[in-house]
Amino acid sequence: MNEVLTSIRRAPYQSLAAFMILFFTLFLSTIMFVSLSFFYSLLGYVETRPQVIVYFQTATEKNTIFKVRDKLMNSGKVESIKYVSKDEAYLIYKELNKDTPLLLEMVSSENLPASLEVFAKKPVYLSELAEFLKKEPGVDEVNFQKDILDRLLTLTNILRKSTIAFFLFLIFVSILVLATTTLFKIALKKDEIELLRLLGASKFYIQKPFLMEATLFGAAASFCSFFLILTLVLTLKPFLESYLKDIPRLTVSFLFTNLTVWPINLIFLAITLGLSLLFGLTLAIFSTLLATQKYLKM
Amino acid sequence: MIKFENVSKKFPLGTLALSEVSFEIEDKDFVFFVGPSGAGKTTILKLILHEFKPSNGTILINDFDVTSREFYQLEMLRRNIGMIFQDFKILFDKNVFENIALSLKVLSANDDQITKIVNQALELVGLTKKKLSFPVQLSAGEIQRVAIARAIVGDREIILADEPTGNLDPKTTWEIMKIFKKLEGKKTILIATHNIDIVNSFQKRVLVLKQGKLTKDQRKGGYEV
Repeated sequence: MNEVLTSIRRAPYQSLAAFMILFFTLFLSTIMFVSLSFFYSLLGYVETRPQVIVYFQTATEKNTIFKVRDKLMNSGKVESIKYVSKDEAYLIYKELNKDTPLLLEMVSSENLPASLEVFAKKPVYLSELAEFLKKEPGVDEVNFQKDILDRLLTLTNILRKSTIAFFLFLIFVSILVLATTTLFKIALKKDEIELLRLLGASKFYIQKPFLMEATLFGAAASFCSFFLILTLVLTLKPFLESYLKDIPRLTVSFLFTNLTVWPINLIFLAITLGLSLLFGLTLAIFSTLLATQKYLKM
Repeated sequence: MIKFENVSKKFPLGTLALSEVSFEIEDKDFVFFVGPSGAGKTTILKLILHEFKPSNGTILINDFDVTSREFYQLEMLRRNIGMIFQDFKILFDKNVFENIALSLKVLSANDDQITKIVNQALELVGLTKKKLSFPVQLSAGEIQRVAIARAIVGDREIILADEPTGNLDPKTTWEIMKIFKKLEGKKTILIATHNIDIVNSFQKRVLVLKQGKLTKDQRKGGYEV
């Protein structure tokens, strides 16, 4: 450890450059990871919501509604259908407006329409189902979330592709800067390295101080970037809570399990820190090995 | 045992440093390589240390053909050799103790072993009181002693010394040579020098080189200009 600290003291600007590029890369990578997890979980959430909701006129008989439901089920394009009666609609309305007694007084179960919440097997059936429902007797209004879903899907795809491109660029720049910094430090210790080789030092013995320094920088940069992001998330928490107030839980599938992304979850945070640490160490050690292999011609 | 068989070394710019040199040195032998500057003395020591390969010929060290393409034990070979370089190769940012300890650290010795062995070596070369001094605080003779101490620690069987008394005053020269005298019979010692007085007073085996060729191999020999 003393050797590492001496090396940092001897080349403070190069050490700072190495740390900063690692910190910058890990900070952006972690933000990208968290954002992508969030968007994917949001996409998953939207996909589990009723994709088409058909509201019937208040005078429509239950039997008519059930006939429409049966037709939909027989179409083979529907995953499931949930019938929401007038009474159930009134209960939902009451729950949503429990803090506004005036609104509750104005409405009774008779004023509210019964509805069917339709989950399509594939998003492509949504338009077809909506068009079909609009022509059915007793139908008052058809709502479907194709636009929202499509936009979210497009946004997530763009984010994923741009993230991968930006991520690769970041990795390239980081490796370049880290390897150059290490090469500079090797040049500073040229005499010592030459002597060590003549004394019979192993390849690993010569590489060890550089690898230890890389490990230190990788770990420090991971922790610093993670805690900065955590601070940002905690600062933005009240805003996120108000923005996502109707969404109780967002999950994303990760290694055969569903991981809670929202509300802020300790396991997700631990995995984020773990991945950031792994990535930081890999990047720092790989760059150092690249530089030492090139210079020492081992 | 060190064995050279028809070894030649030609450097990239065409200089022929060694030409068809053959000799054999037994374990624990004490040998001087003598000759004028450019005769090939340093080249022989560097070939033994495998700083570079010969252009032709075979070099056997402890029955290992170090010139063979199948030779991958360079680290092990060098761990068995202590070299005193003509330019000392002392690290100026490390103190005397640390400079000597470096030779043991590469052999994976632990801290206790390092302290014990380095202190013994410092006593042998008479630098115990200066173990925490930095090279800039030492005289040329003291720096040379540090280089010797670094070469002899760690049970290195072969000691190569390239002009170990070059640029030293006569008194310091003899003090340095006394250290080699103490090591006689314990290690294989090969000294490259053109100091006539030393060679003649030691009466050891002398290999005389001239323009890259071995011109004389004399047991208990001397050296004439």
